[in-house]
Amino acid sequence: MAKILTVKPSCTNHYYLATAAILSPPKAALSLSKSMAACSSFCPQRPLQYRRKPISCLPIKPQFSVQVKAFSSQESSAPPKDEIPARIGFLGLGIMGSPMAQNLIKAGCDVTVWNRTKSKCDPLISLGAKYKSSPEEVAASCDVTFAMLADPESAVDVACGKHGAAGGMSPGKGYVDVSTVDGETSKLISAHIKSTGALFLEAPVSGSKKPAEDGQLIFLTAGDKSLYETAAPLLDIMGKSRFYLGDVGNGAAMKLVVNMIMGSMMASFSEGLLLSEKVGLDPKVLVEVISQGAISAPMYSMKGPSMVQSLYPTAFPLKHQQKATPIAAAANELYKVAKAHGLSDNDFSAVIEALKVKLQERS
Amino acid sequence: MEEIGFLGLGIMGKAMSMNLLRHGFKNFSWLFSSLSMENLKILPSDGGLGLEFWRDSLLEEELVGFDHLESVLFELEWGFPECDELVKHGATIGETPAAVIKKCKYTIAMLSDPAAALSVVFDQHGVLEQICSGKGYIDMSTVDAETSSKISEAITAKGGHFLEAPVSGSKKPAEDGQLVILAAGDKALYEAAVPAFDVLGKKSFFLGQVGNGAKMKLVVNMIMGSMMNAFSEGLVLADKSGLNPQTLLDVLDLGAIANPMFKMKGPSMIQSSYPPAFPLKHQQKDMRLALALGDESSVPMPVAAAANEAFKKARSMGLGDLDFSAVHETVQSSKGSS
Repeated sequence: MAKILTVKPSCTNHYYLATAAILSPPKAALSLSKSMAACSSFCPQRPLQYRRKPISCLPIKPQFSVQVKAFSSQESSAPPKDEIPARIGFLGLGIMGSPMAQNLIKAGCDVTVWNRTKSKCDPLISLGAKYKSSPEEVAASCDVTFAMLADPESAVDVACGKHGAAGGMSPGKGYVDVSTVDGETSKLISAHIKSTGALFLEAPVSGSKKPAEDGQLIFLTAGDKSLYETAAPLLDIMGKSRFYLGDVGNGAAMKLVVNMIMGSMMASFSEGLLLSEKVGLDPKVLVEVISQGAISAPMYSMKGPSMVQSLYPTAFPLKHQQKATPIAAAANELYKVAKAHGLSDNDFSAVIEALKVKLQERS
Repeated sequence: MEEIGFLGLGIMGKAMSMNLLRHGFKNFSWLFSSLSMENLKILPSDGGLGLEFWRDSLLEEELVGFDHLESVLFELEWGFPECDELVKHGATIGETPAAVIKKCKYTIAMLSDPAAALSVVFDQHGVLEQICSGKGYIDMSTVDAETSSKISEAITAKGGHFLEAPVSGSKKPAEDGQLVILAAGDKALYEAAVPAFDVLGKKSFFLGQVGNGAKMKLVVNMIMGSMMNAFSEGLVLADKSGLNPQTLLDVLDLGAIANPMFKMKGPSMIQSSYPPAFPLKHQQKDMRLALALGDESSVPMPVAAAANEAFKKARSMGLGDLDFSAVHETVQSSKGSS
């Protein structure tokens, strides 16, 4: 666990003395001013200045800052030697699954695919992938099988349903579920898989379509450590960093938190864009101003321009947004309105349309 | 552009003046103090009674910000130390805002809040006494659009030129000349000011009529306030879910929502440490002004409204003078009850 040092400037007390001086009765003020003067001799010239010591003076370098591949936070596992599992299965070839599987194939892996709609498999087959007609058969013929499904129901069905992957799992094999599901679902799937003697790893990703294509995903894994180590070279092909977070459920929890912050940020950004437009500013300029400052985030620069044009090409479908706490709940209300207006399959940046709907309702 | 006046030498103003001096602009500086107009000459020179006197003469409502407080106390107890360093680099001191305006073709003001910004212009020995045709006044303070309009009208009524130019960025960007300047008002004055803006900041925008700069600043700060709230909620949720909050920071830093603010504030927030760089009460004031702006145009802003509530709660918990990241404490305490 990274330790952060907090340096507390010894002169911070001066601010409190100053405030006390202001708010205390007249008699006390004199003695306070004298004690302040006394304190000033312990500090270099400008005591009052120190209460404004900026954040940047605190040594805050986290352990994993500038690495290309960031490893686990809890136990540092040495990256495994180049032992890529021989046969790899991939279940689910949607927006995310397809580019992820393609990256594995392009890296020279032996990949067998399955998808509910068979036609989605064709591009991968033409790149050299094998095909099996059920998750069970894929799992049986592979050493490590990945699953990338859109929602908890599909994830459970593919893993535990009729002709599901669990039917083909056995000791020595591993199942890596990279779908985003809630903790309970993940534990359910884990139990089914492990009851066959196989290993299980939940590994939801942070990143959407483009990072998937570019092999720049972030894996938030939890579950069997040994499977994490075995799968690491594969995760490194598909992503730029991976974290091992402990027991099953922790990966799902981390993903939930990240998505919650992201959803709230998107909703707030939408409010800003709409407000700027309504008060006579150019939203494009707002996007540019933001990109220059402390709140500049890649998401804003990526989505801002298309949002300004009321375009929401789907990278992260709106229907997948989650709720939790006051800001997130407020944001969630907007996502519900958007869903009610048929925007579920648009990119989640379409939440701005919900604000526009509300605006029309008011006028 | 030879001599620039500079009014207000607080955290931001001092850093900005130094930058201008270092780049060859001759500064004519003046340290803002609400007392200097009338009362300074009455103070005893030993400074020992300075605090008491000042406390008697100012109402608590006038304690509007750190910079104000700081500059007043400096003037009373330690003379003009802020100015000393500037003088070493070639600045000249002016006794009053009016004196500075008289000497300089262009004057920049950097005050902490609307009250100070108005005082400098309208009070006795203020800007209005000397502003006239051919002179320009550039107010870089963060104020609401109404205050800015008021100042603009008064300046232009006397024949002067006015530009509002609030900045995005705090102390460090000010020192490094990396501010983002959001100007609006007199276009010709903007163009004349560009050489100075290029020194003070990394980018400047001209946004049209007076009021637009103030509005843009509010919108940006509104998003910032909501983001800080969402971030706080995330940290608390991670903690309650048994996750390591530092790991959350690491994950965020790698993805699409990575931003300098999370990176800077995250580590100290985890330690429940909130040294003020941007006081929470100012952030809440900006949220309130942004919501008021939204109200005027009936723009729905539920997320900002929720964020504002959190900042208000933080103020009621006595956290107003800490950094605005202290809203984290509010989320932590409310999690128990929700």
